Amino acid sequence: MDSVETFAGARLDRLLEQMAELAAARTASGLSTMLGRPIRMAVPRLELVPIAQVADYVGGPEQEAVGIYLAISGDLAGHIMLILPLSDAMRLTDMLMEVPEGTTASLGPIERSALAEVGNVSASLFMSAIANASGLSAWPSPPAVMIDMVGAILDVILIGCGAVSDEILLLQTQFEGPDRSIEIYFWLVPGATIAAEG
Amino acid sequence: MAAIVSTKAGVVPPSAGDAHVKAASLGQIVVSRDGEDVLVAYGLGSCVGVVGWDPQARVGGLLHALLPQFRPGDNVAKYVDTGILELLRQMENLGAHRQRIVWYVVGGAAMLKMPDMKSEFDIGSKNAEMARQVMERERLHIKVIDVGGTAGRTVKLNLRDGTVSVKTLGLGEKIL
Repeated sequence: MDSVETFAGARLDRLLEQMAELAAARTASGLSTMLGRPIRMAVPRLELVPIAQVADYVGGPEQEAVGIYLAISGDLAGHIMLILPLSDAMRLTDMLMEVPEGTTASLGPIERSALAEVGNVSASLFMSAIANASGLSAWPSPPAVMIDMVGAILDVILIGCGAVSDEILLLQTQFEGPDRSIEIYFWLVPGATIAAEG
Repeated sequence: MAAIVSTKAGVVPPSAGDAHVKAASLGQIVVSRDGEDVLVAYGLGSCVGVVGWDPQARVGGLLHALLPQFRPGDNVAKYVDTGILELLRQMENLGAHRQRIVWYVVGGAAMLKMPDMKSEFDIGSKNAEMARQVMERERLHIKVIDVGGTAGRTVKLNLRDGTVSVKTLGLGEKIL
């Protein structure tokens, strides 16, 4: 590979890492404010994942899961999807509601609303941190919550990128409270969003 | 420190458990004439699963397509229109006869309903519609079409007897 490309590629990687770290710190701060208690986000791990393998990262394509989807418009147009296996979504709900782990046994309207809000706040804060750092605009849509098989949920973002590339950017982190932590997977896809396509 | 890892596409993760389960992931086709095999497409949302079965040659095939219309230079199995033709070709290579194959079309759900969507953008129904059109144009006989709705589906073809079943969360599994 040409040394200039390698250099430029490495610089872009480093830039993305730095922005992701900064954005995670901002997001954690915002979530802490929203919840009135300290939430930390672990330094995100970034990975490009082939679309055929994405489902396996969150329990397999038939795993029942919660997907929180936002469309982003502006310069940084694209899609963000937060996916959690159902069990982790329930643990996250426990964490949000400050109840012991194992309390939440099903996801009714209140729980779904709480999850939508966390997805909304974290994706929005994250995108606005990237936007501020880069000088590019990013406006998130209201969130949509889906509870279904992982494969079916992922179709929403895979159709957006399937025609553009064979890989999706995974941003893996943890939400950490005082006594528990939850693995969080954000999937990011750049490009024209559903709202823009005819 | 976070690091970005770029992994090369094309690696198919092994199906968990039973060695005879052959999964078609996104943009993949699986075909077989082994009576022990079960072909499966998991978690079809807006994607469409197209199943073909030749009861005489005992050849089965499954396509897991993502989008309705082929874009040149890309993988043909990602698209309903070219995927169906490629599936047919691969089944014929294993001894299936076009006139004998029975077809099933499954999936094409509307997973996302957002309040500020400009139009009723529904790739699921476009996929289902393309499947219908291609089948009609090619004079292929659809035995069962189970599409639409808002729930994900898993479809399986059992090559032992040609049974096709569909599973949704909450509604269990039914034979088509």
